[in-house]
Amino acid sequence: MIKVEHLYKSFGNTPILQDISIEYLPGKCNMVIGASGSGKTVLLKTLIGLYEPDSGSIWYGTEDLASMTYDQKKKLRQRIGMLFQASALFDFATVIDNIMFPMDFCTSWSRRQKIERARFCLDRVNVRDSDHKYPNELSGGMQKRVGIARAIALNPEFLFCDEPNSGLDPYTSSLIDELISEITKEYNMTTVINTHDMNSIRTIGDNIGFICNGRLLWQGDSGGISSAECPELRKFLRIQ
Amino acid sequence: MWRATRRFSIFVCSEQGISMIKEFIESVGRYCLFLKMVFRKPEKWRIFWRQLLVESEKLILSSVLLVCVISLFIGGVLVIQIASNIENPFIDRMNVGYMLREILILEFCSTIVALILAGKMGSNISSEIGSMRITDQIDAMDMMGVNSAGFLVLPKIVSATLLSPLLMLLSLAFGLLGGWVVVSLTGIIGPNQYIEGIKYCYNGFYVIYSGFKMALFCFLISSIASFKGYYAKGGSLGVGTASTQAIVTISILILLFDLIVTQLMLY
Ligand SMILES: Nc1ncnc2c1ncn2[C@@H]1O[C@H](COP(=O)(O)OP(=O)(O)O)[C@@H](O)[C@H]1O
Ligand SMILES: [Mg+2]
Repeated sequence: MIKVEHLYKSFGNTPILQDISIEYLPGKCNMVIGASGSGKTVLLKTLIGLYEPDSGSIWYGTEDLASMTYDQKKKLRQRIGMLFQASALFDFATVIDNIMFPMDFCTSWSRRQKIERARFCLDRVNVRDSDHKYPNELSGGMQKRVGIARAIALNPEFLFCDEPNSGLDPYTSSLIDELISEITKEYNMTTVINTHDMNSIRTIGDNIGFICNGRLLWQGDSGGISSAECPELRKFLRIQ
Repeated sequence: MWRATRRFSIFVCSEQGISMIKEFIESVGRYCLFLKMVFRKPEKWRIFWRQLLVESEKLILSSVLLVCVISLFIGGVLVIQIASNIENPFIDRMNVGYMLREILILEFCSTIVALILAGKMGSNISSEIGSMRITDQIDAMDMMGVNSAGFLVLPKIVSATLLSPLLMLLSLAFGLLGGWVVVSLTGIIGPNQYIEGIKYCYNGFYVIYSGFKMALFCFLISSIASFKGYYAKGGSLGVGTASTQAIVTISILILLFDLIVTQLMLY
């Protein structure tokens, strides 16, 4: 479980996130929706500690992110999987080496065990016969899948996905959505997904938070979203 | 002189001057913090050694050809220039070899070669790390609980610093070889005179001094280029800016440290 309380974040004098309080439960696809530039990526990166919040607190279970030492943070991060907006696969490594990279650092498995686990993850996301390709030889959808495979390589408790289906065709993006939703339920992960894709909001959104100009304006589930009263949300949905 | 000093002090006290000084001190501080991050104990020594090999190949081995070719030609050119400048019959022709050796050891093989490597190694390092930064690959590493600065930068700094004196020796050998080729092809001086000159008044400390300078310069090159790349921002344009800034900073610092080290070690 992740709990965010009164989170503020600004860059220089520009406030980006203002007073965000939200709770993410395990086994659910928690969604953060909002227009481009509303602060979704900044929220995600603050949640995982890549940006320091100005004020407010972030709780992972019973641990406070702000009071963690460097080593504790490192330990926590090994329990987090992250899919970046542009996949962020390592250019210097092949697909299978990309997935084995976190294992090299965080486990003492033998090479055979690592390859086995990497193959399992790749199988899970339906990427086959591309073990020895480099990321730039893959299509966008494949890169996302490999990104997901790398994120789940260490069996994380928390999974963060930044716009997992931006730039993909509707078919591939629904496949990716299903995949994330399945994995979440299967391993009871706490999943947080940034998106502005209406389709994924409707199909896999269990708990949805709407962000507009850095403020959390509405929270609810996919059933309630069409009858929401919040004017900004209605505007956002109509634009879609 | 007085006027210039006054103008300088007025500039320093102006708002612009103060903010420039502040910025400078800030970036020195950030550079030190960056180095602290880089020199944390590697998570896995096995991975560190593997990366060290990769980086040595990429930074040092791939520079060998460039250094050899440049040294060969400069050695040849210097011999002709020196010989044509001491036509005086009272000066022993052997001095051509002697002077060439001193120029190569004292300045060319370390400082000039380092300036050339600043372009090659510096742009390689800063653009590689910078593009990893802007495509979130560094964030991805941090998110796995990996010390990205340690993993990416430490092997580069270690291999550049420890192995670069070998490049300096190589440059010296090829510079002397270049001189010898020219001497034996053109016969400006006798080959024996040339060899005698090269051996004349040999001071081993100069080689140590030069090797030390080279190691220092390559430390500057690898660490500053990594630093600029690591904090690159603003897309691919930002990567370009970062590597330009890195090379300019490195070149100035190399010249500055050349002066300081020479004063300290030779005077
Ligand atoms: N590193 C940064 N420095 C300064 N401003 C930033 C930075 N990252 C994001 N911003 C600003 O924060 C706002 C929200 O950005 P972002 O979270 O990326 O939006 P999105 O919801 O599309 O993911 C934007 O206005 C952007 O200009
Ligand atoms: Mg974004």
